Order: sequence, then C-alpha cells, then structure tokens
Amino acid sequence: MRALFNRNHWPLWVVLALVALALILPAILPWTYDQIDWDAVRAPAFSGSHVFGTDEIGRDRLARLAAGTRVTLMVAVAAAMVSLVVGIAWGATAGWMGGKVDEAMMRFVDALYALPFMFIVILLMVIFGRSILLVFVGIGLVEWLTMARVVRGQVMALKQRPFILAAEAAGTPSIKIVLKHVLPNIAGVALAYLMLTVPQVVMIESFLSFLGLGVQEPLTSLGILVKEGADDMDMTPLGLLLPGGLLVLLLICLTIEGERLRDVYS
Amino acid sequence: MTAIPTLLVIILASFFLMRLAPGGPFDGERPLPPETQAALQAAYGLDKPLWEQAWLYVSRLVQGDFGPSLVYRDFTVSELVAQGLPISLTLGGLAILLALLMGISGGLYAAARAGKTADKTIMTLATIATALPTFVTGPALALCFGLWWGLLPVSGTGEGWSWLIMPVVALALPVSGAVAKLTRAGLATVLKQDHIRTARARGLSETTIMFKHGLRPALVPVASYLGPAAAGLLTGAVVVETVFGLPGLGRYFVQGALNRDYPLVLGVVTLYAALIILFNLFADLIYGWLDPRMRDE
Repeated sequence: MRALFNRNHWPLWVVLALVALALILPAILPWTYDQIDWDAVRAPAFSGSHVFGTDEIGRDRLARLAAGTRVTLMVAVAAAMVSLVVGIAWGATAGWMGGKVDEAMMRFVDALYALPFMFIVILLMVIFGRSILLVFVGIGLVEWLTMARVVRGQVMALKQRPFILAAEAAGTPSIKIVLKHVLPNIAGVALAYLMLTVPQVVMIESFLSFLGLGVQEPLTSLGILVKEGADDMDMTPLGLLLPGGLLVLLLICLTIEGERLRDVYS
Repeated sequence: MTAIPTLLVIILASFFLMRLAPGGPFDGERPLPPETQAALQAAYGLDKPLWEQAWLYVSRLVQGDFGPSLVYRDFTVSELVAQGLPISLTLGGLAILLALLMGISGGLYAAARAGKTADKTIMTLATIATALPTFVTGPALALCFGLWWGLLPVSGTGEGWSWLIMPVVALALPVSGAVAKLTRAGLATVLKQDHIRTARARGLSETTIMFKHGLRPALVPVASYLGPAAAGLLTGAVVVETVFGLPGLGRYFVQGALNRDYPLVLGVVTLYAALIILFNLFADLIYGWLDPRMRDE
C-alpha cells in the first residue's frame, strides 16, 4: 500500500483525481451536461457560472467534460471487465487442458488476431443500433485476446509447480484447483494487463464516438466532445483543446501506470 | 497458406452481419412504394436467398468484380475503390515509413544511451506518442498549423504534397512510439548476447556493433508488430480522412456503413483484410532476412 504514495506514481493520482472530479462535479455544478443556457451561447471561459464557457448551443463545457469523462470511464471499465472474464476463462481453460484442446483454442485466438477487428466492430455498431451496452460488449470481445494469451502462459507455468502437483496428487478436482490455487496466483499479472486494456478501450470507445458510432446523444463521452470541438474549432479552439487534452492526459497516465505494473510482474 | 480461408471468413462474416441489420439501402426520407422497392431489390439481386447472394458475391469477387454501389448509383464499387485506394495507400505507406524512421532511430539512440537521461526522455516521449489518438492529434494539428499559423492546408488534397504532411504525421505518431519501444527492448536483449560480446572483444567500434551486429536481430519484434501496425494505420486512416476531408477508402467505409451500401462496405472490408493479410505475410518474409536462424522453421 505504501508504494502507492511514492511520488513516482503521479499518473495513478492524476487518474484518481480525474475520476473523483468526474463523479463529484455533476453534483455541485449549477448546470447539467445537457442543459441549455439561452443567455450564454458560446460564452467565453470564466464568464458567470460557466468556468470553461459554453459550447455552440449554450451548454456548460465543464459539466459536459465531467459527464463525458464519466461515460468514457464507465464504458472503459465495463469493457475491460468483459475482456478480463472472457480472456481468463479462455486462457485458463486452454492452459490447463493443454494438448489438442490448447492448440485448437490458441489457433482460434491467432486467427482472430489477424482480423481487421475494428471494422467488424464498426459494422456491429452500425447494425445493432449503437446502444451503450453494445459498445462495451463489442469492445470487450475485441480486447480479450491478449489477456487470453497471457493467462494461458501463466497457467502453463503454474501447472508444473509442486503445490499444484500436490493438490492433484491429493485428488482435488481440477475445477477446484483452477479456481482456488491457479487463479489467485495469476491475479497480479491479470490485473497488470487489465490496466493496459483500459487505455486501449478508452481509445476505441472515443474512436467510435468520434465517428458517431459509439455513445449517442444526449449522452456524451470524451470522443463525442472531441468531435464537437473539432467541428467548431475555428470559432472556439477551447472546445477541442479541453476534451482532447483531457483524453490524452488520461490515456498517457493509464498507459504509464499499466506498463509499470506489467514490468513488475514480468 | 491460411491467407485465403481467413479472407473468405472475413468476407462472409461481414456479408451476413450487414444483412442481419434492420433497414436497407433504399430507405429514404420518404418510403418508396412497395412495387418500386421490390423492383429495386430485384434489380440488385437482393430478393434472392441469402446463401445464393453470398455465393454470387464471392464468385464475382474472384473475377475482380465488386458489384455496383447501391447509394452512389452511377458508380461501381471498383470505380469508387480505384478513386480512394491511391489516397489511402499513399497516406498509409508514408505514415509507416515515417513511423519506422522515427521509431527505429529513436530506439537505437535510446539503447546506445541506455540508462542515461536521453534514454529516459526518448522512452517517455515514446509512451506519450503511443497514447496520442489520431482523432485528437489530427484536429489539433489542423488547428495549430492550418488555422492559427496558416502554414498547411486544413482540408482536401489541393496542390503539391503539403496536404499530406499533417495526416501522415497524425497517423505515424502512435506507431512510431510503439516501434521505438520495441527497437529499444529488442536491442537491450540482443546486446547481451554472445556474438555482441565477441564483437566487443575484437575491438569493433560501438557504432559498427550497433548497426552491423545489433540492429538486425533486434528488429524482429518490430517486424512482428507490422501486421497490427497496418491494421492500426488503416483504422487511423478512417479518422484522418474524415478530419482532413480526404476522399480515401476510409470515408467510403463509414459513409457506406451508415447508408447500408452493402457492396461498398464489403468491398472496402475485403480490401482492408487483404492488405492486412499481405502485411502479415510481408512480416513473415522479413523475419528470415532479419534473423537467419528463423529460416529453417
């Protein structure tokens, strides 16, 4: 726990601070993210109650940033969880069973790696009505591949360890060994890769939203805000720079922290 | 040898996904009379059973016929692709060259200065670069160099080649970061090996060791990243083409998907998949050249 307070962990603190802001701000701001202030359309920053001003139809920028960050992070965590569950189930089964089952399962993963997956996800979004649920299921189903590979490798290494062999010799059922002895031992590595999945997912979600295929209005996300800002950047650069900067900051911090965790475990 | 089946699976998967969708290419603002609707469906063969349509599509595709576009009525998909492909290929090709150039030289320099400030700075920059999404860097570049300083054109292809600069840089940045990291990590492993120690013992200069004996085997991880990089560049190109208003393949893909222009979307997906598979094959060929020990396998 003390390691967390090391000043080298500033990226983690930045992320936590942003999460806290995204959770608290909507409750204390005088404006909601979809509320239009007719008296202050395109208000500049620091005018009245609008800290970052308002957008081209008079919605408070700060409130929209907070709401967008919240949605983006929510989708990211949910999608990362989907990838975690699918990846662990697939990788642990393949690694534990070994032999032909393992080979077939991992061939499948290799084949999926070669697919231009982004395009399949875009098709999915276009076809099945762009709901937020589908966004994270779709992204999660793309992102589980690396997790499955990592988990399989770990499980195969663990299988040879004496305590697992002892459990097998004692007649413990396989399912119990996997759940009670194998999975707890790969939790660290899985967590590290989960951390690395989160920025990936944030990027995919924003990408889809940017193209108009992800989260839909009136809900907002950082991707949508970047898109709105890009469309209006000749009038108010702030509209692009704020969500763009926030998104990049979030991605950088999550990546640095994820890579650090991965290096600890590998 | 798996290239053809993989391609076929992608084509069929996309084909059936598109058709599962509610809505069709002829849904306009005003609903068409049922007879017209039926006539249109028949004209494009959309009234046949799905399997037959799929079979027809694939058999025509083999002969190089991508079919007609359902939305851009006066064009065949081949014509649209012929317009878009050169632009997308130029963008992607230049971006990957720039990314390799920046990434490999950055990684090389960092490895030569291992543990020093230069190493740490370059690696931090590389991490930042990998976290830069094209849909943020694209508009941000356009804002700075196009709108504020007026140095480069903001949209369209225009005269000369200056329109290529910003899209290519936006595309190349994240890939260059990843390449730099892979090169640095590859060199770190290779420089510990016996043949490098031998080279050092023979008194070769550090430069010769790096370039002649270290770099080539160290680039193997970079080669295996080429496939995913190509996929990343193609998806990035979709955004960059939208942001900078370039009439490449990516825009046709998004437009086609939104308009349910089945043949157009399928054509673009097929091309993308073929490009990615080609890139993976290319990476396999490079392995043998980079590290002769891998030729036998």
